Amino acid sequence: MPRSQRTTKSVAKRIDLNYFKRPHPLRRLRFILSIAALALAVVWLAGFGLARNSFVYTAGKVSPAHAVVSRKCFACHIERAGKFRETAIDRGCLSCHDGPIHHANQIFTPKCGSCHVEHRGQIRLAAAATESCTQCHADLETAGTPTTFYRHITGFGAGHPEFAVLRSGEPDPGTIKLNHFVHLKAGLKGPHGEPVQLDCEDCHRANQANQQWAYAIGPDAPPGETPKLPAAVTASLSPYRIKPPTMVGARAYMGPILYARQCAACHPLQFDKRFTESVPHDTPEIVHAYLVKKFSDYIAAHPAELREPISTVALPAKPVPVSPRVYSPPEQWVNAKVADAEALLWGKTCKQCHTMLAAQAAPAAQPSLPALPKVAESKITARWFPHAMFDHNQHRLVTCESCHVRARTSQNTADVLVPSVHVCAECHHTGSAGAESRCFECHIYHDWRNEKEVTSRFPLADIVGGAKRPGDEENSSGGAK
Amino acid sequence: MRIDESQRNWAVAAILIFVVALVVYLPYAAHSAHGPSGASPLGLAFGIVGFSFMIFAGLLGARKKVPVWRVGRAQAWMRGHLWLGLLSLPLIFFHGGFRFGGPLTAALMVLLIIVVASGLFGAALQHFVPNTMTSEVPLETIFEQIEHVRGQLLDEADDFVAGVTAPNGPLAVAAAARAAAVATEELPIVSEESVAPLNLFYEREMRPFLRHERGKGESLLDRAKSRVMFTALRTLLPLEVHDTVKDLEEICEEERQLRRQSKLHHVLHDWLLIHVPLSLALLLLGAVHAVMALRY
Repeated sequence: MPRSQRTTKSVAKRIDLNYFKRPHPLRRLRFILSIAALALAVVWLAGFGLARNSFVYTAGKVSPAHAVVSRKCFACHIERAGKFRETAIDRGCLSCHDGPIHHANQIFTPKCGSCHVEHRGQIRLAAAATESCTQCHADLETAGTPTTFYRHITGFGAGHPEFAVLRSGEPDPGTIKLNHFVHLKAGLKGPHGEPVQLDCEDCHRANQANQQWAYAIGPDAPPGETPKLPAAVTASLSPYRIKPPTMVGARAYMGPILYARQCAACHPLQFDKRFTESVPHDTPEIVHAYLVKKFSDYIAAHPAELREPISTVALPAKPVPVSPRVYSPPEQWVNAKVADAEALLWGKTCKQCHTMLAAQAAPAAQPSLPALPKVAESKITARWFPHAMFDHNQHRLVTCESCHVRARTSQNTADVLVPSVHVCAECHHTGSAGAESRCFECHIYHDWRNEKEVTSRFPLADIVGGAKRPGDEENSSGGAK
Repeated sequence: MRIDESQRNWAVAAILIFVVALVVYLPYAAHSAHGPSGASPLGLAFGIVGFSFMIFAGLLGARKKVPVWRVGRAQAWMRGHLWLGLLSLPLIFFHGGFRFGGPLTAALMVLLIIVVASGLFGAALQHFVPNTMTSEVPLETIFEQIEHVRGQLLDEADDFVAGVTAPNGPLAVAAAARAAAVATEELPIVSEESVAPLNLFYEREMRPFLRHERGKGESLLDRAKSRVMFTALRTLLPLEVHDTVKDLEEICEEERQLRRQSKLHHVLHDWLLIHVPLSLALLLLGAVHAVMALRY
């Protein structure tokens, strides 16, 4: 029969009716691959299980701070016998870190993990979300006495008040008389009479700035050497005075203004035409002692000056007859010269910058001392934000006057030249073009002044070595201690 | 399964679910303190729904094993598999906040992406390839029968050629040995010399082509070349054997179609070699992840 004449029946006869009994190669291959995929998955997990390594179950990379324990889940996920949930609990964190509370009168203490969220990759754990703070500070309630702090802050750009020092309207407590406007004028006379133009950094530099000061003079402030500061100033600049998450940079704050470093070249403390040197920039008692010694030494070397001509009005055309004054004993001369010098110093030189308090009677222990004035405490504020951090060094990008907008025009010591919060907000705001504006950028949650030592619990070998679980023995009895 | 009007309800439902999920996710992602997380209540909800969809999609295989169970039509299951399986991808992304996490979750994400991508690829193939099959392979047979039919085509061709050559020739002897399938007496017997070109063509080109001998008879793979070769062959053969030549040409055409069918079948089904095994691994590891994530 020709092929073209074939019927459906004849074509159907070509079918092998038992074909379905034989395994289909594609289906068989699919079955084998399915078994292989499942087996591979089981073997993969079993491999970790046999190695007692739970890393495979991690929710993501840990932060760099915890990288060394990234494969030691037990370091944070402290196991507790009989408990199904084994989320990282505060006990796990507190066994290595202390976490002092924020305030004694806080009404709520969040769990460590609610602010410091781990397994989010390369993040700073200390960089807590704004919401971590505003969960309380958006509507602040405290236990005991009502708080004096602002109570409704929902973020830096939303409800953050003006800085307290500006909000209060209180003047600068400093007693040093300084006119920024005058000092920044063009054409001021420099140390050698030449015209100079002062700039901010001629006087204000970050603490420990290791550069030559333009107007420094005297042996008490050689370049690069940090002078001895009063204890109160040192304490105010201590990185631990407030609650830092990390050490505040050594160049975070402006160094204190020191006469020898910033003022001496233009403002010498000369006291008599016989001497070129200045009196020490110190207390009146020390200055007085210095003057007595200086004049005593001088008169011993120049006894002829005990006979001092006394001139009245000197007229060139008609000389006045001179009748010399003779000082005897020499102490009389010394006392007279010291009195003249002190009158100059207390009455003009010192007073130009310092507030001089009225002369008081000599102390009973030293009746020989004349009545000396007191110099009012300078009270220069080294740190304007006692509850926040600021790092000048991190803000070198911008000029001083960009933030301290009134510095060039201020004429009064009482002017507070701290930038407004709105100046900060020009850069620190949300959005892709904004600098960090979350609370942690300036504020600290933990009060590190109350930090306690923690006892280390992991031998180094357990952290960097094998997967031995130091808590194994403890787990059965209720977890790590 | 074609993506046509019959999918509309499922498609609308899937889009609605996606939109609702997106509307929930966007403010959640924007306002959660530390970004979206699988551990948050909402993240967990996304994970549970997404994994449920994956399980439903995975149950299609089980449904096919028990076709007589009254658990809905297979077509409905297939549509659910397609749309809910596709939805599981964005929901799991919402669950993890578009992060891949640790080794297990990263493996799950990669598996899910591959499974969904292969599924979409397969769905596209299932939409377009059957049309191609219908138009290009009118002589389509059951895929499992292709090898069997090819054997029959070879035997048939052998018989046709033997039938037109001398009764004592090797092909005729082979044909006689088989069980009375061909009535050689019905075919005209021509001189061996006149059909020599047919013998030569058959032995050198057509038979190797039908036997799938590598490197031989490949000209017949091309329909146009094949037509030219058979036309030339007819000019060399007496008129009596032209019907036989036509039959041989038809056999070649059927062989070509079977080869094409085999290729299209692989195109239609080979993606399942990736999709199914990885789906099973995904479900297994997903279950482990669910338990361990709740535990830790």
